Amino acid sequence: MSKRSLGLIHKQRRMIPRIEALLLTAFLVFPVWADDFWILFATRVLIVGLLALSFDLVWGYAGILSFGQALFFGMAGYSCALLATKLGVTSILVMLPLALAVGLIVAIVINLLVILGKRIPTTVFVALGTLTGSYVVERLARGWSYVGGQNGIPSLPRLTVGGYEIVEGKGYYYMALGILLAVYVGLRYLTRSQFGLVLAGIRLQEARMAFFGYKVQSYKGMVFALAGMIAGLSGGLYAFHEGYVGPGQLGPVLSTQAVLYVLFGGVGTLVGGLVGVGIIDLFSYLLSQKWETGWPIVLGMLLLVVVMFRPTGLIGLVVSERERMGSFGKRDRTASAKRPKDAADTIS
Amino acid sequence: MSNGEFQVRQRLQSYSRRLFVQRAGLLGGMIALGAGSYLYNPRGSWAADPIKVGIATDLTGPISWGGIPNANVAKMVIDDMNASGGLLGRPLQIYLEDTATNEALAVTKVRKLVTQDRVDVVLGGITSSMRNAIKDTIVNRGKTLYIYPQLYEGKECTPYLFCTGPTPAQQCDTFIPWLIKNGGKKFYLPSADYVWPHVLNAYARKTIEQNGGEVVGEEYFPVDHNDYGATVNKIMASKVNVVFNTTIPPGLAAFFKQLYEAGFNRNGGRLACVYYDENALNITPAEEIEGLGSCLDYFKAINDPGGNKIQAEYNKLYPGVNPFTAGSAATGMYRGLKLWEAAVKEAKSVKREDVAKALDHAKILEGPGGGSEFVPGTRHVKMNMYTAVSKGGKFEIVEKSKGPVMPGECG
Repeated sequence: MSKRSLGLIHKQRRMIPRIEALLLTAFLVFPVWADDFWILFATRVLIVGLLALSFDLVWGYAGILSFGQALFFGMAGYSCALLATKLGVTSILVMLPLALAVGLIVAIVINLLVILGKRIPTTVFVALGTLTGSYVVERLARGWSYVGGQNGIPSLPRLTVGGYEIVEGKGYYYMALGILLAVYVGLRYLTRSQFGLVLAGIRLQEARMAFFGYKVQSYKGMVFALAGMIAGLSGGLYAFHEGYVGPGQLGPVLSTQAVLYVLFGGVGTLVGGLVGVGIIDLFSYLLSQKWETGWPIVLGMLLLVVVMFRPTGLIGLVVSERERMGSFGKRDRTASAKRPKDAADTIS
Repeated sequence: MSNGEFQVRQRLQSYSRRLFVQRAGLLGGMIALGAGSYLYNPRGSWAADPIKVGIATDLTGPISWGGIPNANVAKMVIDDMNASGGLLGRPLQIYLEDTATNEALAVTKVRKLVTQDRVDVVLGGITSSMRNAIKDTIVNRGKTLYIYPQLYEGKECTPYLFCTGPTPAQQCDTFIPWLIKNGGKKFYLPSADYVWPHVLNAYARKTIEQNGGEVVGEEYFPVDHNDYGATVNKIMASKVNVVFNTTIPPGLAAFFKQLYEAGFNRNGGRLACVYYDENALNITPAEEIEGLGSCLDYFKAINDPGGNKIQAEYNKLYPGVNPFTAGSAATGMYRGLKLWEAAVKEAKSVKREDVAKALDHAKILEGPGGGSEFVPGTRHVKMNMYTAVSKGGKFEIVEKSKGPVMPGECG
């Protein structure tokens, strides 16, 4: 009987890899037939996908409700834009590490203020803390003329690699895809490792994990910093792809959008966030073509319906709860744990 | 349906039919001659290939009060052009995109216009932040002509970007001497804290001082600020004559109310606000802004034949809550389209370089508030400016500039 149920689980477990494989293939072959506009559109989806991944990591895996992902995104974007426009640095070898570093530093600062206090912060405290941070920095950027105030920084030069410009289009697309893939694979490994298991424990029963002796806050802090780096990377890529940065990229609106992407696509699955970005952006674009003045209402209703009736997001339609939770560590670990007798035998 | 409109419709329909025939022919030719033949471009034979005009403006979101009249005017002008036979013998086709008062979204929308629709010109953007966000995508990366219609702080000197709205010089040069004569010498500059008020105030201060006036105070508030008690006290205590306001809604209503209640207007103080048009008169009760002065390129009260004709046509097509006014950039949009039309006619082409060369000195004789023309080498327009005063909830014209006023930008 146990064999049968294991088999069932195994069968169900295959959905996420299938979606991943499908998406990867789609993204790889997409530019072959797509025209310029759709390649630019898809590049933007890939870049914003990184932002969604960063939110899914903090909320879906560590239970940190961060309404401040845009803060890391925008700060990195602004830093890259300033360096590029004021000092003329455009090399990708400088810019991408810079974006990562800024995301990390800002995340550490927010960490110290919001997460790593003496008292264990509640979810609402973290949500409001990060939201406030995002709001404050947006307001400051709007009023600071050195960074362009309300108008932001326009006309960014292009990223370069060894003297060659990375022009928006296929080149930028595959670069973004490569970066996204690397981050995704890394995160997938991390969230399915023993570290990921601890995170799952924290998400479900924080107090119990603390009693087990885990330094819950340190784990949260680490995940938050990592997510900050990813959001920063996204912000840097975004700034160069769109050719400008503005205070809107720092604020609560984009932070909330990151939340929506993930809730809509499917929280705690990584791939759900990417699906969310793709579908929401595509839908809002197509809707706005059909009905120029009423499309935001339709989009809002749609999001509402999905979040109300499918709390696990669109992914929840095909992925079971058991699969969403995932399995941890090495593949055969569950099998050997089920047979303690054998293990005892080998020891003796 | 007018005869001309019918003709254009027919032409557009026949265009798609002809396109199909041509594409089918092209395909046949490619198959017959082998792969190399698709280099042959039959475009020259498509006489009625439409000219594409991209309009990217805020149809939704907080700036939609400006975006909707902009889109309306664009549709009206393009329809008129088509009704009178199009341009260069080709019909015009409008590509309307909603930028939703959201710069991030706008970049994608504008990208669609330049890379997918391959429009020949883009007009639009209301706020400076919007212009800044989309200009690179249009002009540098997209290699397309861009016309920006709104009054703004100036200093936009990007090549191939043409501005058709009033600049600080145009809004201050005639207005501030008038204010000094009809208000007094002591000015106060309460402002919203963003780029336009800062830059406009710098110019206004210079002009005030040149004309023998004095700036008592200059203050910046968040746009949604709502307690102006301290500022109003300062204004009343230092016996300011003119409040040169650049706060904007939503903070604006609170400020005007508090100033009114403190007795500023009653004591003979003069309110001034350069973006105030007929639409803005509805923001506050009429008595709070009695005597408010504004300086724009067009008011309904000018009662000029050109403006009246546009008003009549606009109100017939789009009656209701989104009127044709100067503060919403609708006049700039009209001017932009007409100047561009004149340039295309002169250049006999829609290629960016050719049109830009002609647009550099393009001129129209009629428009809202009179004719206008680009000042060569500046990509800004010189035009008549009018000073109006609010009386009982309506504007009355009190002064007209002596001839067109120079934009004073990029010279």
